[in-house]
Amino acid sequence: MLDFLSIDIGTILFTLINTLILFLGLKHFLFKPVNAVLEQRQQAVDQSLQAAEDAKNSAESTKAEYEEKLAAAKEESAEMLRKATRQAQRRADEIVAEAKADAAAVMQQNTEELEREKRRAAKELRNEVSALAVMVAEKVMDREINPDDHARLIDAFIDGVEDAQ
Amino acid sequence: MTIPEFLRGSSELTVTGPKVIASFEVFGITVNFTETIVLQWFVIALILGLCRFLTHKLTVSGVSKRQVIAEMLVDAIHNLVSDTMGKRWMFMTPYIATIFAFSICGSLISLLGLRAVTSDFSVLATWAVITFLLITATKIRFNGVGGWLKGFLDPVPVMLPINILSEVATPVSMALRHFGNIAGGAVITALLYYGLTGLSRMVGLEIPLFTIGIPAVLSIYFDLFSSFMQAFIFIMLTMVFISNAGPAEDEA
Repeated sequence: MLDFLSIDIGTILFTLINTLILFLGLKHFLFKPVNAVLEQRQQAVDQSLQAAEDAKNSAESTKAEYEEKLAAAKEESAEMLRKATRQAQRRADEIVAEAKADAAAVMQQNTEELEREKRRAAKELRNEVSALAVMVAEKVMDREINPDDHARLIDAFIDGVEDAQ
Repeated sequence: MTIPEFLRGSSELTVTGPKVIASFEVFGITVNFTETIVLQWFVIALILGLCRFLTHKLTVSGVSKRQVIAEMLVDAIHNLVSDTMGKRWMFMTPYIATIFAFSICGSLISLLGLRAVTSDFSVLATWAVITFLLITATKIRFNGVGGWLKGFLDPVPVMLPINILSEVATPVSMALRHFGNIAGGAVITALLYYGLTGLSRMVGLEIPLFTIGIPAVLSIYFDLFSSFMQAFIFIMLTMVFISNAGPAEDEA
């Protein structure tokens, strides 16, 4: 039995050895496995963060790409609209010009027709008047006059009338 | 009707050191193999068994309760060391954990009716000497042998004896503080049992009924609180003294 307060070489020696044993035991059975698993988890977390970062970057670049495409499409559609408007305007102008030309042609034709009709009517009227005049003259003079002479006389008369007008 | 001897309570009060199981003569020096060493083996087996149990089947995800406890313990001791000593002393963590676990469990086995490992002064002296050697090693590492020796003459050479005394006082006070608290608690508990037995006799009780329950209340302080407190104080002092022996963190 040792004293209550004693310093014992044997106890110190064995305590030293036991402390070393516990030190190595704790290192091997507690710190090594737990630190390893903590490190693995840290790595997994880092990897996840990296993956998330990559995904974000890729999403952003895709978004930028799509925005660019969208802007280009908008520009294209506006261009198309402008072109279509220009074309339609041109077409409308053409149609109006054509219609005007047609109308002018029809007018011209009508005028010519009218003129022709007038001349024909005048000629007919003249023939008729001359025939009538010959008939009247025949009745009056009761003899036949050479129709050619009459026609000449009447023509001269009508011309005289026309000149008087 | 006779009452068995073990029910009669303590009839005498003896305060002794640990029992010597065997003695060897090595180069004329007596080396004792004491009760303390066997109890230390028991404590080591307990701690390492707990570690094996807690670190059984560790996984990165889908963590079990055991693993949570193991990670919490490692994390707590890591944080304690890094907060007290700084990041560059992190390699000290397993040693600090060793002393802390050994001290706590060595004190707490008194709850099982065993003799506390830490009520043997030689054990505390060993740990205090390790701390002292680490402090000295740190001073030599950062200042060189010359700088370390010159440190004893600071601020004036007259201070040499006082400096030596303060250097030696560090491990001695650490060991005695821890020893005094745990051994003192054990003595007081023994005294209390003895006293309560006597009190029971005085009121005519053959079986010392007063020793049931009442010592448990004091045990909360002397065994539980003291065990944690002294282990914590010991490792805190170890960490502070060692880290103070080197230059401050930003200078290194």
